[in-house]
Amino acid sequence: MQTNELLNSYYVDPNTWDEMYRELFVREQYKGVVDFMQQMNIDELNKKEELAKRLFMSQGITFTVYSSGEGIEKIFPFDIIPRIITAAEWKYIEDGIRQRLKALNLFLKDVYNSQFILKDGIVPIEMIHSCPHYLREMHGFHVPHDIYVHIAGIDLIRNNDGSFYILEDNLRTPSGVSYMLENREITKRIFPDLLPRNNVRSVIEYPNILHKNLVSLSPRQTANPTIVLLTPGIYNSAYFEHTTLARLMGVELVEGRDLVVDNHRVFMKTTAGLQQVDVIYRRVDDDFLDPLVFNPDSMLGVAGIMSAYRKGNVAIVNAIGNGVADDKAIYTYVPDMIRYYLNEEPILKNVPTYQLGGEDERKYVFANMNKMVVKKTNESGGYGMLMGHTATEEEIARYQSEILKDPRQYIAQPIISLSTAPCYMNGKLQPRRVDLRPYALCGPEGIQIVPGGLTRVALREGSLVVNSSQGGGSKDTWVLAT
Amino acid sequence: MLSRVADSLYWMSRYLERTDGILRMLKINYASSQDDIQEFSWKPVLRTFTYLDEERANAISRHSREVLQYMITDKENANSVLNIITHARESARSVQDHITKELWQCLNDFYHTVRDERIVRELYKDDPVTILDILIRQGLLYYGTMDVTMSRGEGYSFINIGKFLERGVQSADILDVKFRDVNYDFKKTDTTYWKYLLLSISGYELYLKTYRGGFDARNVLEQIVLNGDFPRSVIYSVNHLHSSFQRIKSERNAESFKKIDFMIGKVRSKVKFSTVEAIMQQGLHAYFNGIKEDLYEVGNALNQNYFAYI
Repeated sequence: MQTNELLNSYYVDPNTWDEMYRELFVREQYKGVVDFMQQMNIDELNKKEELAKRLFMSQGITFTVYSSGEGIEKIFPFDIIPRIITAAEWKYIEDGIRQRLKALNLFLKDVYNSQFILKDGIVPIEMIHSCPHYLREMHGFHVPHDIYVHIAGIDLIRNNDGSFYILEDNLRTPSGVSYMLENREITKRIFPDLLPRNNVRSVIEYPNILHKNLVSLSPRQTANPTIVLLTPGIYNSAYFEHTTLARLMGVELVEGRDLVVDNHRVFMKTTAGLQQVDVIYRRVDDDFLDPLVFNPDSMLGVAGIMSAYRKGNVAIVNAIGNGVADDKAIYTYVPDMIRYYLNEEPILKNVPTYQLGGEDERKYVFANMNKMVVKKTNESGGYGMLMGHTATEEEIARYQSEILKDPRQYIAQPIISLSTAPCYMNGKLQPRRVDLRPYALCGPEGIQIVPGGLTRVALREGSLVVNSSQGGGSKDTWVLAT
Repeated sequence: MLSRVADSLYWMSRYLERTDGILRMLKINYASSQDDIQEFSWKPVLRTFTYLDEERANAISRHSREVLQYMITDKENANSVLNIITHARESARSVQDHITKELWQCLNDFYHTVRDERIVRELYKDDPVTILDILIRQGLLYYGTMDVTMSRGEGYSFINIGKFLERGVQSADILDVKFRDVNYDFKKTDTTYWKYLLLSISGYELYLKTYRGGFDARNVLEQIVLNGDFPRSVIYSVNHLHSSFQRIKSERNAESFKKIDFMIGKVRSKVKFSTVEAIMQQGLHAYFNGIKEDLYEVGNALNQNYFAYI
């Protein structure tokens, strides 16, 4: 059969963990999918791929690239083969993330109030004060229920022995959850019946849990608080996600210009006059939220919103100033935080990280540049990054002189060779590097993690960069119930 | 409902109503142009729907393909179907959480259809009616999806307000231009002229059932202005504008409501209590212009009282 060839041509790098194959045997969790694929021929698979593309396009699950004054609709590349996580793996991930978030929340509360962790010398004070995301405006202010991180998208990767590592904690406005939800919807369409047959857990609860948490944050004791999702507007690349979430939760989608602050209260402008807003799930960065307090040029925010927040008249999700906890230099100290606050050993490991602010570490990194990936501490989306193993001598030299200008703003990590998962490309299955971003929700009743997440794929052969802004794609992510 | 959302829904609706009007107009005028009646010209259409200056309008007024291309896919033409649908989609995109997913997908499909390169190619090479039919059907899908899926809330009312306001303006506009084209001469008996006008707004069958004895400009005028059963008549549009507006009455914005309700009531009476004779006495142009002005005023007042958010 043709499809057997499709599987036979799958070549796994022996130094890499592959999600599907283990020494030429298909792992148990992938058997259902592989069997299913073998019943199909290439034409059918191509048709499935075509259908997936068409569904994305007609549902407007697109982002717009503006060039020469004209918008071009693009879809985020989607690979039809799901990424599968076993029940045991998920349990481990879930426990690890829960523990980590608990500690990070405590850290944020501490660092903006009593600062015990700094006084006890666990995290160096200069680390905090040199972090541009540490906001003095948040100091001495109690957020509702002491929850700073309501929504976290924590990035995990797998090393060549299959063990999971935390790559990044995204605690500000993590995006991509709509792709977790939409990818699943697409899978339902292109592979009918395959999900129930494989015992895949549902992700559909996500908007309901989030909505319930948002309601519980309302400062006014009313049965029906006004909840809004604040978006930068239709030109934002994640705009589709904002509309999807607003629709799924049934909350109002607002832009900065729809809101106004009066007497330390936030109102939205409606056809029947002003209506008070209780909870804001904002997808606008800290810096743009309030032109009176932060960036004065911001057109996306609302003047005075910070004063309403500090007065406790409106809840903002995620809390302002969370960037101090997901800064790439602070990241190094998260295992210490877990030990400090929880008196537990960290379940999920950190990738070893070198602070280039320290002289010894910098020397070591400079001597081993070809084995390192160097990142800016306050950039995301894969920008400002140097992959040592592929960079030229010249690039390395240029980058090193950049580092020396302000070493605190850089960290280095040994290159982890990310696990691979099968992708359907050009009529063949090919291994491509993947990561995993589950979404955790913290509410007054604790931390809930929807069984699933976003699997991002580096679509170029051999590439280790999965960010969508750098040509990455995504997959539906299955968590099995048994 | 957010002012911005109401504004976007209102404009989405106006844009689609306009698109529907333009497409029907094009289809019938194209058919008319193929009938080779000596005097056929695209000028009335160009005058109603574009900002082309006299010279350029004259230059293309006898070249159907060029007119179609200009009216449908030209990016320079602010009122081309392509541009209008793009605006409508942008409006819809910013209020996706207030329209149903089906409606959004329908608009999104419309947008992708009108941007399809095949459309441009076939407009030039092939049978334009096929293309026009495809586009008109997309519009009908929109109306149907709206009717079947949208909840009858405030948003729906603003959508209808936009729709009937636009339709009223258009009907008045079409009549004004068509009569001006024959110098407001009621004696003009070229029946095909009126037949195509009625066909273009789906009023032909109704006309045949209502009036015996051929096409008479007076009867055409009566049907398009005063027949309350004809969905494209001015009176029908104004009546529905009135009833849609009643639905957004609320205690919280009583003053604005009263003001606009008065304005709509005034224009409604103006149409309702007029006759063909009275209109002719006043002069067609002055009458239509008056109605258009009144409707624009309503639009401005809505803008100030309900949509102001900046």
